[in-house]
Amino acid sequence: MILVDLQIATRNLLQHTRRNLFLGGALAATTGLLILLSGLSGGMKEGLLQSATVLASGHVNVGGFYKVTSSTAAPLVTDYEKVLAETKKHVPELQDYTVRVRGYAKAVSERSSTDLVLAGVEVAREKKMRDVLQLTAGKLEDLGKPGTLLLFEEQAKRLEVGVGDVITLSAPTTRGQSNTADVRVVAVARSIGLMSSFSAFMHDGTLRKLYNLREGNTGVIQLYLRDHRQAPLVAARLRDALAAAGWRVMDSNPQPYWMKLFQTIPSEDWTGQKLDMTTWEDEMSFLSWIFTAVSVLTGILTIVLMVIVIIGILNTLAIAIRERTREIGTLRAIGMQRSKVRWLLLLEAGLLGVAATGAGALLAGLLARLLNGAHIEIPPAMQMFLMQQNLRLVIEPGRAVAYAALLALVTTVASLLPATLAARLKPVTAMHHIG
Amino acid sequence: MSAIVSVTNVSKIYKLGKTEVPALRGVSLEIDQGEFLSVAGPSGSGKTTLLNLVGCVDTPTSGSVVVDGKDTTALSERALTSLRLDSIGFIFQSFNLVAVLSVFQNVEFPLLLQGRLGKKERADRVNGLLEAVGLGDHARHRPSELSGGQRQRVAVARALVGRPKLVLADEPTANLDSQTGANIIDLMRDMNRKDGTTFLFSTHDQKVLSHANAVIRIADGQLLGRETVARAG
Repeated sequence: MILVDLQIATRNLLQHTRRNLFLGGALAATTGLLILLSGLSGGMKEGLLQSATVLASGHVNVGGFYKVTSSTAAPLVTDYEKVLAETKKHVPELQDYTVRVRGYAKAVSERSSTDLVLAGVEVAREKKMRDVLQLTAGKLEDLGKPGTLLLFEEQAKRLEVGVGDVITLSAPTTRGQSNTADVRVVAVARSIGLMSSFSAFMHDGTLRKLYNLREGNTGVIQLYLRDHRQAPLVAARLRDALAAAGWRVMDSNPQPYWMKLFQTIPSEDWTGQKLDMTTWEDEMSFLSWIFTAVSVLTGILTIVLMVIVIIGILNTLAIAIRERTREIGTLRAIGMQRSKVRWLLLLEAGLLGVAATGAGALLAGLLARLLNGAHIEIPPAMQMFLMQQNLRLVIEPGRAVAYAALLALVTTVASLLPATLAARLKPVTAMHHIG
Repeated sequence: MSAIVSVTNVSKIYKLGKTEVPALRGVSLEIDQGEFLSVAGPSGSGKTTLLNLVGCVDTPTSGSVVVDGKDTTALSERALTSLRLDSIGFIFQSFNLVAVLSVFQNVEFPLLLQGRLGKKERADRVNGLLEAVGLGDHARHRPSELSGGQRQRVAVARALVGRPKLVLADEPTANLDSQTGANIIDLMRDMNRKDGTTFLFSTHDQKVLSHANAVIRIADGQLLGRETVARAG
């Protein structure tokens, strides 16, 4: 019987091609739009993950603060080798790690100046950097030499410098004094979103010197996991494990380290070392408003589209049912129960929903591929917000299927009312219906 | 012979806004099993209303209608639907076939709703009936590919496929030319003789009336009488 039901539903859909194409087209467009929006949000997230985990964070960071007095703090992990050894014991998911010095400084060139968040790197250990950074000038290997700096295009433009030029960095040390260092720009990389507007890399030894750091101390141990989604779990586990091993560990606080350094830590009444475990999302939380804005926008759009779809379905089905009232009356007369009539109409709406939303999802996938392949450059003003230089849509198959299924379900549920009304008609009334 | 239909003092009043229009007034009649009976009367006399009440697609304003031993005024909507499915076959003036189904599927449909026969048994019964109505070669056609007479034959096969005790036909020849109409009535008569299925059909065509065993005359919603049709030979 189900095969006959499917056949009736399919043939009915095909018989009213124009009307169903219109409704199906609207459903497909809605599905496609929602999936593309989610793809844009996914692309932003991926862009953020990529830039964050190259520029400023691991998937999980074992960082910390050292306070000489209760009002002065520096982003430091003392005796990091011991911390690293303990960390490795508790993170079987670990794929790779880097150790970086953290700092911030005012960069002054001959013509201009800008604030930079600095990462002191041992370039030989930074495998991911090679995969992600696209150099427009200079060589990455040169960052292994003391007194060197890598800038992003945007910063180089702001400072009006290029490879070979020297700039001066001025930074406060852990004891609150100011220190300066002259560094040479050895490489310029293409900007990769918002983060690259203020992050720069320099030789780790030079940054240590700038901050008067001892060997054995560092800024952060950045951990890269096989699956970045495990980051919150790993961070929580490490918090417990390192505390149990005797370190003083800060409570979870989803803020970037520099926000804590300037706002929270100086007002806390303690001195010495405290470790702080964060995830890449914590370090990027100051950008979360962009995702919230996109989510709110998507949510509003979804609701508006859903309302339009529901009204469209109700109208179209009401027309469809009016056209088929006599047929429904005949089926009722020859012995079809009300529930069966309702089922047939719901099946029809469900089939239309599945076919249309499936087509919409496929089209969205194809369009996303085309757009990604076209490498469309985002206008510089938008790059900051979209966190990518070229438009990139990342569609998660699970999410696309969920959107398609949701809209198909909405279509089916919206047809419940007209289907029930049709099923409740008296056979004699339905059979003598005109129109 | 036992009565398959028993109509007792039935009235049906339709409400059109504030106006009440009586379609049947105090009608009583009995139809025995195996009869081939016609309801005759002018347009608006109440023929269709009577058939609708006997066919359980409508309910009387007062009185009782008993079909196959069941008082239809006491049955739920679900039970009435089941009664229609199992005991009554319908042939409509405009054929009322499902346009999107083939001839075979249209005839098979009541069997699928009954859900009692397997695929092969259903196919055997449908094919047998299609042969009997002369449409064995048209099983895969859609209704739109058939002539009016052929469509009504499909409707006859559909009405009979569930082996109902009673078949109701409302003006079954009204949309057919006289020769095709006569053929349809002959076909129904054959089925009545062969299987003993009771037929009740409405018409105002005198030629068609002559095929019935008996004629119930109706006018202005009242039963005028019942006549046995004399047949030569």
